[in-house]
Amino acid sequence: MKFLMVSVGQARYAVQADVVRRILDPTQEEDLHLEQSGAVFQGERLRLIDLRAAAGAPPARALLYLLLEGSRSRAIVPVDGTESIRDVAPADIAPLPPFIFARPARVFRGVFSDGPSPRLVLDQDGML
Amino acid sequence: MSGPDASWLIRFHVGGAEAALPLRVVREIVARPTVVPVPGSHSFVSGVALLGGVALPVYDLRAFRPFWSAAGPDRGGPSGEAGEHLIVCDWGEARLGLLGDRVDLLEQCGQGAGLEDATEDRCAVSRAFVRDVVRRDEEAVVLLDPVTLFASLGVPAAGPPRAMEGAGEDDPAGG
Repeated sequence: MKFLMVSVGQARYAVQADVVRRILDPTQEEDLHLEQSGAVFQGERLRLIDLRAAAGAPPARALLYLLLEGSRSRAIVPVDGTESIRDVAPADIAPLPPFIFARPARVFRGVFSDGPSPRLVLDQDGML
Repeated sequence: MSGPDASWLIRFHVGGAEAALPLRVVREIVARPTVVPVPGSHSFVSGVALLGGVALPVYDLRAFRPFWSAAGPDRGGPSGEAGEHLIVCDWGEARLGLLGDRVDLLEQCGQGAGLEDATEDRCAVSRAFVRDVVRRDEEAVVLLDPVTLFASLGVPAAGPPRAMEGAGEDDPAGG
């Protein structure tokens, strides 16, 4: 399964590559407008999934925006950088125990070993 | 030598308190591994660590306010201690880790001093989480009640089969 490796502040995450429709550079995209709780891209209002805020980190302007598309909806995820696209075997992804989450709608579903520290996998089914 | 009424406990230091858990719920003690914070998790969850291929939730009891009496954590101990060790516990079908320092094996012979010693002016831990108090060298070690503690942390007593070591996600491709 292919994943796009991204960074948000000090955190490193993996996004299933087949849900990433576009990687948007806000300095190049005139059709991308960010609002307090969402984003408008090419006239479409989209949910903004702020991983930095979810991690309790101070707000900062993201360098890139991922346009994700799932089976039910689309969303914008601000990130600081994209690192690579890599193949990760499903057997290498350890599922996160659901009881650690404060709310039923969770953003992450698993974790795998990746160099100095494990990397979390976004839960596209929970988000989109 | 162990007497007929002896039972073994794992003793540890957390937030200025000397606490203990029954050895039977403790799977292993390891040096604190790399813990990755998980956004959206409870505030008292430090994150997850990969241990034997399993995503192990790591709990910091210092951040779990109901665990502490009115005095709160860190009373009688250095503030900001990191938790050098991880006490890995098996509970029902779940596995979890508690951060702690100065982890040691402790033998409990017979009954302890009782809950009277766990009144909140002597013990920083809330009485609801204390099963007994064991006196050792002028020090009170609170024996925690794992049923109350783990239930309060949201750990299910029983649930779906635990992810086996080395087992990951299902391969949607069937591979």
